[in-house]
Amino acid sequence: MEAIASIKPEVLEIQPAPTYINGSQALLMSLLAEGVDTIFGYPGGAIMPVYDALYDYQDQINHILVRHEQGAGHAAQGYARMQGRAGVCLVTSGPGATNLVTSIADALIDSTPMVCLVGQVAKKLLGTDAFQEADVMGVTMPITKWNYQITNADEVAEVISKAFYIAQAGRPGPVLIDITKSAQLELMTQPFSYEKCQTIVSYRPRLVPKQDQLEVAAQLINSAKKPYVLVGHGVQIAKAEDELQAFVEKTGIPVATTLLGQSTIPTNHPLYVGWLGMHGNYGPNVMTDHADLIIAIGMRFDDRVTGDASKYIKQAKVVHIEIDPSEIDKIIRADAPVVGDAKEVLKALLPLVNKNDHTVWRNEFRKYDAIENEVITEPALNNPEGKIRMPEVIDLLSKKTNGEAVLVTDVGQHQMMASRYYHFRRPNSLVTSGGMGTMGFALPAAFGAQVGAPDRQVVAIIGDGCFQMTLQELGTIVQNKQPVKAIILNNNFLGMVRQWQQLFHQRRYSFVELQNPDFITIARGFGMDGQTCTEREKLSEALDTMLNHDGPFLLEVIVEKEENVFPMVPAGTSVSQIRLS
Amino acid sequence: MTTYTICIFTENTIGLLNRITIIFTRRRINIESLTVSETERKGVSRFTIVIKHESRDEVEKLVRQIRKIVEVLAVFGYLNDEIVFNEIALFKISTPLKSKPLDVETINQHYKAWVVYWGLDYVVIEKTGNDTDIFDFFNYLKQYEILEFVRSGRVAVGKTEKGLVEYLPEAEWAYYL
Repeated sequence: MEAIASIKPEVLEIQPAPTYINGSQALLMSLLAEGVDTIFGYPGGAIMPVYDALYDYQDQINHILVRHEQGAGHAAQGYARMQGRAGVCLVTSGPGATNLVTSIADALIDSTPMVCLVGQVAKKLLGTDAFQEADVMGVTMPITKWNYQITNADEVAEVISKAFYIAQAGRPGPVLIDITKSAQLELMTQPFSYEKCQTIVSYRPRLVPKQDQLEVAAQLINSAKKPYVLVGHGVQIAKAEDELQAFVEKTGIPVATTLLGQSTIPTNHPLYVGWLGMHGNYGPNVMTDHADLIIAIGMRFDDRVTGDASKYIKQAKVVHIEIDPSEIDKIIRADAPVVGDAKEVLKALLPLVNKNDHTVWRNEFRKYDAIENEVITEPALNNPEGKIRMPEVIDLLSKKTNGEAVLVTDVGQHQMMASRYYHFRRPNSLVTSGGMGTMGFALPAAFGAQVGAPDRQVVAIIGDGCFQMTLQELGTIVQNKQPVKAIILNNNFLGMVRQWQQLFHQRRYSFVELQNPDFITIARGFGMDGQTCTEREKLSEALDTMLNHDGPFLLEVIVEKEENVFPMVPAGTSVSQIRLS
Repeated sequence: MTTYTICIFTENTIGLLNRITIIFTRRRINIESLTVSETERKGVSRFTIVIKHESRDEVEKLVRQIRKIVEVLAVFGYLNDEIVFNEIALFKISTPLKSKPLDVETINQHYKAWVVYWGLDYVVIEKTGNDTDIFDFFNYLKQYEILEFVRSGRVAVGKTEKGLVEYLPEAEWAYYL
């Protein structure tokens, strides 16, 4: 008894069991460890523990409250395209997650890195048709690069690090993490630690190309008489604009881009010939039929580029430089596939190719340019009478911004006109929904792009139909004081559908005419300035007003109702059947 | 139509079966049979999927799309002559009193099949072999009353000496030991 009494009291004191952070805190600490400083989100029941934790991290993470989850997704896409890293969105279960679906599908097909964090009902409620329960894993499986359901707080750090790695590595894409409410609330059973994912055994995209593939490609390039480079989105994703220029300047090969490849190379570069596709330039489309070698870089031969693929570039050999091996031979068989990151491939290819000029071949493009100019461009830009036409607006905008703005376009005629008439001077300057063709993309994506590139002038070009799909995001723009400029090219029609109905359905205009609201009143209702321009004489002044306005601005331009976009390769025909009128 | 056997080696995770079959359904390719089991490597599953297709090109594209799944380690598409393959069938045959007696000798020696369970008035016969063997045996058994007949999916191993290990660096393969 004596001995026990002599023990010092502090030794007897019971040590409390260590407590660790919960899943929500672990999620936020993981995001911070990943360098995330901006999240686009919308709260709701099943994600509330994360929002509660977020309250304490407001100084480190800028959470942007959107007006609809689709807006969060597109904003994250715009942000990701500007930053070259994953955009993050945070939404609740059920409808919150399903509202995100369109943007996820869009991000997959346009290879945009995105990490979607989605709440889910508690683990014990899974499969019980609980309130706001949807099988989001099942729904998003075909439209994500990877998805995973976290049911345990200890998993959070590892899964988040994997999510960011997968979203950004190789060919980027969207990743969705479904987090049960129970995992958000429960405490970890161990101290939090975060290790950035460097590699995954089962997913190791090849960046550096194989030497033998390079040599075969170089040999074809060196022996070609009429080589032609087609550049896709992959070059800008790989940030390989300089390498591309060095490559084409050494080899003297003409370059065309796809829709998403635009702005990779300045439009005034002597080797740039234009853009490809259904509404692309005349020469670049037709000349694919005359080349003896096609060098496709970071592009996937979309059907809007190839027209009838069975008749596309049959006469040419094909070098296909692509990071995703599943794209090789998918549409067009490659004689020399080179799997790798565009930057690495172009760097490695440069010393293997001969200096060349190809002046005669390059000049062949010019005669088509002259025709296109005479038949389409000149008349579109110089018409003293009638309503304003879309090309005039874009052309003037291009001049006023020196081709240095970030253009964010929606889907339809205005999208094609923006691509045709804007003269891009800086890389990474076009954000558009290419593969998915998502109407309503532009306004939230322009907001996200402005957040991601605060030093750049961001101008959204939007159709009157598209605008009404996501116009509630005006509220997000105003609340976050982002100086986004938005131009509505208003023709009171779903213009592209109307054009097809005119050309291919005997002018049977089936449900394409819109009774539009007063857009400027709507903007003002959100607290955003705006004005409408109806007269040609006032267009320049209106654009100046918009561009010089301090803060966001909506400019509505009333344009010719039944204008068509030409050239046009009618769907399912070969590119040689391109129509000029 | 040619029969192709697609062997897919994957990490063992929830939902992967769905992710793989989506690739088939999206391209309107019908799955004739599908089996999944763990391999000689811990944590590595092996899917064996049999399809019929008229275009080898399309099957090659399919294989590349499957390879694209993050958790997939390797994918091989085989023609029948490139693999050793088998399946198993169970036949439940009615054997009430006074019915025609089973010729177990023929069943064992000619058809290499075995009675694996004796019920009160039925037996269960197991037969392994390829689909032709099994259907031959099925035709033979038609003289009796077949209460139930079930076939497993195909399992297959490639005839080349290469194992999966050839396709993954040794250092990383060790991860699964």
